[in-house]
Amino acid sequence: MSQTITIDPITRLEGHGKIDILLNDQGEVEHAYFQVPELRGFEKFAEGRPAEDMPQITSRICGVCPTAHHMASTKALDDLYRVAPPIAAKKIRELINSAFFVEDHALHFFFLGGPDFIVGPTAPKGERNILGVLGKVGIDIGKEVIGLRKQMRDLISLTGGKVIHPVMGLPGGVSKGLTEEDQAQFVAAAERAVKFGQFSLEIFGDIVLKNPDYVEMITSDTYTHKTYYMGMVDENNHVNFYDGQIRVVAPDGQEYLKFAARDYLDHVAEHVERWSFTKFCYLKDVGWTGFNEGPDSGIYCVAPLARLNSAEGMATPLAQQAYQQFHATLGGRPVHHSLANHWARLIEMLYAAERLAELAGDPDIISPDFRTIPTETPTEGIGVVEAPRGTLFHHYKTDPRGVITDANLIVATQNNAARIAMSVDKAARSVIVNGHVDDGILNLVEMAFRAYDPCYGCASHALPGQMPLIVRVYDQAHQVIQEVRRD
Amino acid sequence: MRTLVLGLGNELIADDAVGLLAVRRLRDQLNGEADVLESSLSGIALVELLVGYDRVILVDAMQTGRTPAGTIHEFAPDDFRAINAPSPHYAGIPEILALARELNLDFPTDISITAIEAADLSTLGGGLSTPVAEALNELVDRIRALLDAPLSQPLLRHHRDLGANCTSSA
Repeated sequence: MSQTITIDPITRLEGHGKIDILLNDQGEVEHAYFQVPELRGFEKFAEGRPAEDMPQITSRICGVCPTAHHMASTKALDDLYRVAPPIAAKKIRELINSAFFVEDHALHFFFLGGPDFIVGPTAPKGERNILGVLGKVGIDIGKEVIGLRKQMRDLISLTGGKVIHPVMGLPGGVSKGLTEEDQAQFVAAAERAVKFGQFSLEIFGDIVLKNPDYVEMITSDTYTHKTYYMGMVDENNHVNFYDGQIRVVAPDGQEYLKFAARDYLDHVAEHVERWSFTKFCYLKDVGWTGFNEGPDSGIYCVAPLARLNSAEGMATPLAQQAYQQFHATLGGRPVHHSLANHWARLIEMLYAAERLAELAGDPDIISPDFRTIPTETPTEGIGVVEAPRGTLFHHYKTDPRGVITDANLIVATQNNAARIAMSVDKAARSVIVNGHVDDGILNLVEMAFRAYDPCYGCASHALPGQMPLIVRVYDQAHQVIQEVRRD
Repeated sequence: MRTLVLGLGNELIADDAVGLLAVRRLRDQLNGEADVLESSLSGIALVELLVGYDRVILVDAMQTGRTPAGTIHEFAPDDFRAINAPSPHYAGIPEILALARELNLDFPTDISITAIEAADLSTLGGGLSTPVAEALNELVDRIRALLDAPLSQPLLRHHRDLGANCTSSA
């Protein structure tokens, strides 16, 4: 197997998602492997740099979720310097993070999940795209997605200081406070976002939930895994994207662990497989038993579905209603259906919008007290936030001058890597019969990983930058018998 | 006429920085005849950067594996096949153009892409590879020539043989 991959010319091309499907003599799937390219050299790159540069540097790694990296990194600096930001600073950061979630989740539901759910997984290939979505939901919604996104991004730049890569985060606070005029803009934008969030859930209800075929697909065994779930929660065990404790629930929905960010290494370990660059995260307390589900396997899952499973509710009223409907419809908590991530994403978008509104209207947010100057000698700092794609850890060690000696990132997709690999394998086994793979079947396999919104934007930006997918089917002698390319 | 030269890439990742470095050099040579922007965004996120311009030249690294590192390619949007991108982060130029058209956005009518074959697109802090670094001046000259060319002049050399198998990150 490894030999086949080594001689494969495609592996020279970065930016490809690759699925290798091994068939047995009967033409049934023996195993399907999903691989993605990985960013190399981060630790070495970070070494020797001043820690306070990290929020800027790490946000530049990725063109997709710079805000999340900026937030996690800034929180790691708070921890590094043992400095607590003033309340205004915390709220401004959460405000920005909420605006980021709104625009990111909106984009994903309509333009990523949309082709599968709004247009339909079995629709002709030429229609399963953004234009197909617009054809179904109308041009005005497309305009609203673009318009809302622009408004959110403008607000992020207003506060974040830079259009694309925010520079606001400093150890102990933020670089700039909000004025009353800024606040008014946030209030107006939040109102629009809440409406859009409600409207999006209505669309989901009408197009997806009222279609028995879609509901059957979402709840089918093909897209179901009973694993652990991880997400950040507040003191009431409600979902929180910016701050709180990490809560892990077992496959039966019971709380298994709850820990502070600083203790993540006591609970999260990484497993290496010969066939993949990706390190597969698992729960140390449970252990690695291979790509297995159930309570004895330490594989866990992050991102929208996992967050809704690992919390006991949402902290805002409209999102809480949607949360209750979600679990009631899908058979109670936890929901193990990977495709339910799309619905969960919309509930989170509404939560982010409502939270944005709460924070925007909060008088604390315009306080001029937005920075606590650090005085401690730095040694080690860990920061964690929820990124749209899941829990994101930043961990730095420094010398007494604050120069990085060691750095580690665990990005959302790494947390999810093991479950994504299982999902691709299971979907391939379910839909491939007699070794036949065509475009429709490929899409059904792709949907298994698309639900997680896996993002390797940090590794694959340049041309060709579409993270094209290559699916290869091998016979038992490891000869390629079929290849389907999406590039 | 409003013209934008948009450098794409990631300054921290080896040859992926080349688009940014090229437009930065170009900026020093221009006298306001075009706006110069750098961006590490991709996919649909680029839509809003292009709105309001008549003409756009995109500059990016690419990796086809079919030409030596440092080779400069010029493309028109038609050279890129539309695909069903697995994520909007990776939506390509055809999708962006189609979306802009569908939404009736004020979008450039003239878009060209200048791309350079990269050797390394995955090493953080790697710096430019030697062949790409050596081709940087030529890349800047080629963009400059495009800018100076009248719109109707068929300066673009269409690499359909390559383009048919290429996608774009823009």
